[in-house]
Amino acid sequence: MDYPKQFDVIVVGGGHAGTEAAMAAARMGTSTLLVTQNIDTLGQMSCNPAIGGIGKSHLVKEIDALGGVMALAADQAGIHFRTLNSRKGPAVRATRAQADRQLYKQAIRGYLENQPGLQIFQQSVDDLIVEKDRVAGVVTNAGIRFKGKTVILTVGTFLGGIIHVGMQKHPGGRAGDAPSNRLSERLRELPFKVDRLKTGTPPRIDAKTVNFEGLDAQPGENPRPVMSFMGSQEDHPTQVNCHITHTNARTHEIITRGLDRSPLFTGEIEGVGPRYCPSIEDKVVRFADKNSHQIFIEPEGLNSLELYPNGISTSLPFDVQLALVRSIKGFEQAEITRPGYAIEYDFFEPRDLHSSLETKHMPGLYFAGQINGTTGYEEAGAQGLIAGINAARYSQQLEPWCPARSEAYIGVLIDDLITMGTKEPYRMFTSRAEYRLILRQDNADRRLTETGRNMGLIDDARWTRYGEKTELIESRKQTLASSWCQPGNTDVETYLGQPLSREYSLSELLRRPNVDVSSLLRILELEWPDAEVNEQIEIDLKYEGYIARQEDEIERIRDQQEANIPDSVDYNEIRGLSNEVKQKLQDVQPETIGQAGRIPGLTPAAISLLLIHLKKAKQLIRRSA
Amino acid sequence: MFTHIPEARVATYSNFKAADGTTIDQGIALFFPAPHSFTGEDVLELQGHGGPVVMNMLLMRIVELGARIAQPGEFSQRAFLNDKIDLSQAEAIADLIDSVSQQAAQGAMRSLQGEFSKKIKQLNERLINQRMYIEAAIDFPEEEVDFLSDGRIARNLDELECALKEVLQQANEGALLREGITLVLAGRTNAGKSSLMNQLSGRDSSIVATIPGTTRDLINEFIHLDGIPLKLVDTAGIRNAGDEVEQEGVRRALVEIENADGMLVLVDLQSTKDWQEDLTSLIRELPDKEKLLVVLNKIDVASRQPEIPKHFDYPVTCISAKLGTGMSDLKSLIKAAFSLDLSEEGSFIARARHVEALTRGLDHLQVGRDQLLSRGAGELLAEELRLCHESLSEITGEFSSDDLLGLIFSNFCIGK
Repeated sequence: MDYPKQFDVIVVGGGHAGTEAAMAAARMGTSTLLVTQNIDTLGQMSCNPAIGGIGKSHLVKEIDALGGVMALAADQAGIHFRTLNSRKGPAVRATRAQADRQLYKQAIRGYLENQPGLQIFQQSVDDLIVEKDRVAGVVTNAGIRFKGKTVILTVGTFLGGIIHVGMQKHPGGRAGDAPSNRLSERLRELPFKVDRLKTGTPPRIDAKTVNFEGLDAQPGENPRPVMSFMGSQEDHPTQVNCHITHTNARTHEIITRGLDRSPLFTGEIEGVGPRYCPSIEDKVVRFADKNSHQIFIEPEGLNSLELYPNGISTSLPFDVQLALVRSIKGFEQAEITRPGYAIEYDFFEPRDLHSSLETKHMPGLYFAGQINGTTGYEEAGAQGLIAGINAARYSQQLEPWCPARSEAYIGVLIDDLITMGTKEPYRMFTSRAEYRLILRQDNADRRLTETGRNMGLIDDARWTRYGEKTELIESRKQTLASSWCQPGNTDVETYLGQPLSREYSLSELLRRPNVDVSSLLRILELEWPDAEVNEQIEIDLKYEGYIARQEDEIERIRDQQEANIPDSVDYNEIRGLSNEVKQKLQDVQPETIGQAGRIPGLTPAAISLLLIHLKKAKQLIRRSA
Repeated sequence: MFTHIPEARVATYSNFKAADGTTIDQGIALFFPAPHSFTGEDVLELQGHGGPVVMNMLLMRIVELGARIAQPGEFSQRAFLNDKIDLSQAEAIADLIDSVSQQAAQGAMRSLQGEFSKKIKQLNERLINQRMYIEAAIDFPEEEVDFLSDGRIARNLDELECALKEVLQQANEGALLREGITLVLAGRTNAGKSSLMNQLSGRDSSIVATIPGTTRDLINEFIHLDGIPLKLVDTAGIRNAGDEVEQEGVRRALVEIENADGMLVLVDLQSTKDWQEDLTSLIRELPDKEKLLVVLNKIDVASRQPEIPKHFDYPVTCISAKLGTGMSDLKSLIKAAFSLDLSEEGSFIARARHVEALTRGLDHLQVGRDQLLSRGAGELLAEELRLCHESLSEITGEFSSDDLLGLIFSNFCIGK
């Protein structure tokens, strides 16, 4: 039957990408439908129970700054918080929360169900409705036809998924759920390039059977960091410890003996796995000289007795899994609650996407999350948010929006995907960002909130609090610049460890390497609450030179970044370009001159030739003009 | 560089000054304010005295002030994009950029030959290695790879700095610009090496006599070949030497040949019937040299004009060292062989680009080291090393953050 209502945005899939997509579209006032195979698994953390980490908390805080829900849910579900790189400078600091799976799911489901303008429907999607080469809706397995102006596919590993445990394999999405093969076949008929990836999880362990005595306990951070701009420590539930244990020589021997039944080493698995998250059998083989590997034992929740042993992802047969687990200190008597497995799944070449995440082959159709070859909740959520924003804007007949590489890690993520594609599950690292000193987790709000507000993503409460914070930063900065410290101020001189040679403003003192804002305020007996405001001021001053240099660079290349390349350009017509370069341009079809320049192998001379061609064809349009 | 901004559109005779206020060169400065210039942007044109040494100093001074060396064809491109060149000329401009960038690529390849290239490669590998450790420490703080807090990084940075300085010095020296090129004059006894040397230098520095073995010692002579310093080494004639003094001369000749940039092999046309055969046997006795120029001497007294095959293995020219005929052809031959013909961009600009990139790299490396040592700011060191690497990549080619991650994953066992 045809469902009586027509939607602006239909989101298929209720994982992390689907959640942010549906929430963003609905927040922007478009009528939105979320279709999921199972309402009870909305917001499910199918891999490790943690949100954030290096490069990843940057994404979470950006999603948050654009009004998303991941950080809010992490605060409500986080049972163990850490600040990573706390001694390495603010640009590379990150936050990670171990989350209680149930609490996380509950929080996400709450947000989705209470979001005005968002409808949720349980059924699996089998097909797309296509009208005049544009997407026009979806068909469910019961034959219900939902019409929509745009469709966002966030189907994760459900496309063509095959699960491996030892030499046994069976089709599946994540363990326990069915794969979407009908949809997969349908998409394979379209001219999308499809490839295969692999990822894996460790066996889960029954906490009752683990001996924690003698294992290193890892308590959470103190003071406890908060994930969301709107969050607070009061949101956090009871906090618990993680533990650390290690594999040993016997573990490695057990693994080595089981390799003849490993789907990874017998060639059963063809998909490419992530280099940064190898299975334990891979680690043992490739780093044979290391006789021990670290395992983080992460609790799955406050009311769950399952543990997630992070570091022993495996697809070895179950008997080998059991033996290897029991060879590890603390796990001698351990029982496995769910076996580890590897999963192979389809992903779509992300170079077939625009920066809006709209597919090039089918207008109105958007892809977000693992379907684009990424891994991680945070990467998925970030794409979901952008797809949701752009589907909503499309239905409102507005220009698409995607942050630049200099604005957000989200911009780095999407630009990397659509410019270079990926050969392994793509994960964010801070080293991927050339503007790392500007793109910090602490200033995500300052980078994005205003843009989000303009797009209708930010509610009044957040907007007001944001305004207060920025105002406070400015006024305190002015106070610091106009407050002076005289030579002879013994408190300050004792703190500095040297006499003041002349009068110094407080900002000047704060620029010094070993001066920190809280000490200075204490000495001067200034009562300035709001530590995060003071922190912003300190970071702004300490990074001043670097920030200025990066901003100069951004300004210098702005023209190129904003020079659009029309879809109609025929690269074969361009004089002087080698065939190889033409092919590369054809594969990526860059949106701007700036993006073209980032394609590996495109020389400045090739860019010049492209510019001249566009100018001649009067196709050179400046976005800002 | 100037005491005041030159007047617009007026040729002003000026001193071009170095940072310390000394004069690098004197010449004409022409300032064309936008939009009335070739590119439509502000353009300052400096006309100096030429000669690669001074030109190089001037160029480096301008770069020091914040300019950069233009990309091949960039001026034309800018002129075109700013509507200063007719649309109908688009194709011509495209062709120009294409050909100029090919020339530049060739120039870069010439500049990157031999020892210099090897050193740059080693340097680049060491830098990548450092970055690998530092970025791993930042992106994987829980993986027992925290290299930033151990003292080795500082030591490695010191070593890296030394290596970079050494390469930079070599780039400047080997630039064939400041120090010039060293050419060995080789040939059989009495082939006229000393005469040629005197002819080129315009001085009587070698003892010229027709008794075989007169030149028993090495004689070095510095001459200027259109502004390019050229060091000529006259060797003791290579022959089976009789006395000890002469044996010593032969040994030292072989060492000079080993170290020189190239060799002029002199063949005596008067005393040979088949100069090619003579040359072949002579070359067999000489150490291998990549750049080898053949000079056929005594054309004035040769019994007949030598036959020179069209596609001979080496550049060849005929002279009479005694009379001074054929000298300008010989000079052109040398310039061409070492790409010193400055009418093209060639290796001059290429090398200048390399020196510029290395200088910038060194600067970032030093700042980064200070950031680590004085502030313990590993992330700022990482930033400076990224910029340093970006500079070096202009010479060694693209290196992406994904390449770096690839190295990290293959060298460290990472992954929870």
